[in-house]
Amino acid sequence: MTEQATLTAKRPAARRRESPARRVARAAYPLLWIGPALALIGVVVLWPVVVMFRTSFQHISPDGFILGSAGGRNFTDLFNEPDLKGVLTRTVVWVVAVVTVTMILSLGLAQLFNERFPGRRVARWALIAPWAASVMMTSLVFRWALDANNGVINVFLHDIGLLKSFNSNQADWLGRPTSAFVWMMVVAVFVSLPFSTYALLAGLQTIPQDVYEAAKVDGASRWRVYRSITLPLLRPAFVVSALINVINVFNSFPIIWEMTRGGPGYQTSTTTTFMFQLKQSYIGESAAMSVINFGLVILIVLLFLRVTRRTGEVT
Amino acid sequence: MKPALIASVALSAAAVLALSACGGSSGGSASNSGTTTLKLVAADYGTGPANTSQKYWQGIADAFHAQNPKITVKVQAINWNDFDNQVQTMVQNHQFPDITEGDYFSNYAQEGLLYKASEVMTNASNLMPVFSKLGSYQNAQYGMPFTTSSRTLFYNKKLFAQAKITSAPQTWADVQADALKIKALGKIGFGLPLGSEEAQAESLLWMLGNGGNYKDATGNWTIDSPQNTQTFQFLKQLVGSGATEPNPGTKNRTDLWKQFAQGQIGMINGSPALIPIIQEGKVLSDSDWTSVPIAGKGGPLQSTLGVCDFAAAFKNGGTSKQAAIKKFLDFAYQDKYQIQFDKQYDLLPATTSAAQTLASDPVFGPFLKALPKAVQYPGDTVWANVKTEVQHTIGTAVTGDPSKVLGTLQQTAKKGS
Repeated sequence: MTEQATLTAKRPAARRRESPARRVARAAYPLLWIGPALALIGVVVLWPVVVMFRTSFQHISPDGFILGSAGGRNFTDLFNEPDLKGVLTRTVVWVVAVVTVTMILSLGLAQLFNERFPGRRVARWALIAPWAASVMMTSLVFRWALDANNGVINVFLHDIGLLKSFNSNQADWLGRPTSAFVWMMVVAVFVSLPFSTYALLAGLQTIPQDVYEAAKVDGASRWRVYRSITLPLLRPAFVVSALINVINVFNSFPIIWEMTRGGPGYQTSTTTTFMFQLKQSYIGESAAMSVINFGLVILIVLLFLRVTRRTGEVT
Repeated sequence: MKPALIASVALSAAAVLALSACGGSSGGSASNSGTTTLKLVAADYGTGPANTSQKYWQGIADAFHAQNPKITVKVQAINWNDFDNQVQTMVQNHQFPDITEGDYFSNYAQEGLLYKASEVMTNASNLMPVFSKLGSYQNAQYGMPFTTSSRTLFYNKKLFAQAKITSAPQTWADVQADALKIKALGKIGFGLPLGSEEAQAESLLWMLGNGGNYKDATGNWTIDSPQNTQTFQFLKQLVGSGATEPNPGTKNRTDLWKQFAQGQIGMINGSPALIPIIQEGKVLSDSDWTSVPIAGKGGPLQSTLGVCDFAAAFKNGGTSKQAAIKKFLDFAYQDKYQIQFDKQYDLLPATTSAAQTLASDPVFGPFLKALPKAVQYPGDTVWANVKTEVQHTIGTAVTGDPSKVLGTLQQTAKKGS
């Protein structure tokens, strides 16, 4: 307490002796450290946001020439697109389904990898593979595995008698919008699993062992221990990885692009691929779609944080 | 809570934006100390690394550089699936290539981005007149025909024999009957590529069979004309009967051509470019397949679709660059390179002198004779947009409601850019 008092007493005296230039330099000193980060955020994040909003109100020729202001026309054109409703619905289904399934599977996998078993090290390495492989590559592998004529998945299904004939509608998984979309969700879950499993595994390892011992002494059942100790203590890791997954899955482009290009028509497109498809002919409208996407992501994040704050302390 | 919130918002913003930064590569660099670098972007006609167009163009670029040490030509070959999209992205970002070879769109000429053919070629009159007209905008020529091809119906004679079909299909009804007989063998009867790669070509071939087209003789869009609607109703019925591969709206030309080469498909519309794929497949021998005029509703097409790919030169530097482009194009359009290209990819020449040289060739002769009366895509400035929409959506007409899909496309065409 006394030391504090002397410190505050000394400070004004020290300041008075400084020249104004020195004082500015002293105030600016922290900028040296946070400056690069700020500049990066400014150039890479904020500036493009500004440009995106500006573009969405401009009338731009397909060749990239600005022909003046479009007012709200890009947005009305976008909302009049007959495919937009389906695209938006599909996006919601895509994000919710992929993230939910990923998180549930990851919880199980993380628990498994937290146990000791022979070959655990190798199994943990193997889990990295879908993460380390390029998403585009994974999508291509699945696309060819699902080929109606000779894809390996179809060959297998044919061998075990589930598939009657090749080149049939049944074998053409990626040609039918619904089954194509389901398969793409499977791929999305497959590539999202490693990250969330590792995030949850890290979370599991931070839970102190003595809490479990205490529970054991109290005679708690395994399910009770999981519900009352593991899950609550895992919440921070769970929330972070779910949130990152939501954003990743929402923005997922290569899976859809490589497997169906959003087709037939736009029947397997999400807002992200739809935005790209619009760009080829209608830049302004595509920017309007970007603005909607941007708003959607922020909305999802805010909603998510709200929900998690209500159910418990996050950070 | 607060910092987490800010971080998440920043994170989401970054994630959203990572995508808007797609595409784009640097344009050709400007000259310094008397040397010039030209950026050439060409569509890849090859079927793999062995015969990629990168090699063809690099060969020309190297020979040219040996004669003109101060000019370097950088070659970038892009596969057909992505060519339009990538060139369009370069143009949208104003990172123009110097020369493109592949699809050409008159809207680039409309925007004043291109040199006239006469400004970058010494002898533009050697280009085949019928295609030069297609590369023209307001009476000036911008697109320089580089290679041409025409479409015919290919069929697998082996499968035809097995299915006891004795003659080539002449009408739509023949096509359907024959296709169903081939399907009974466990193969695909008719390969119908209505996926995004080249749906505009396949659709036009069928439209022509019923006297339809994208535009009528007076230049009005007729995508949803009664003839075209009828055509797609027939196609829908054809697909529904199982005569084609399932879900044609998701199948691309190259994939189906390869399946034809593997002997899995009975009939498919193709261009001479299908021939090297068949040869490379090593499944069908030369006597196992043949090609005939495309079947129409009541009889074979009198004039088929003639497709031309163009070179175009972008205004991307001063007069020294223009001179360099001119030198290079004069060099690349020599007969020997035209013929090398045609022999390599089984395509047809686009210059009168090269066509004369090849006129007596047994393979190329018949195709060349049909070229002057070939039907072509609209040369309209809106075509680039219409084509993109056709590629994405026309395939849904054979599973959904044809008149609705065609009606939407007609609206796109009329809306303009």
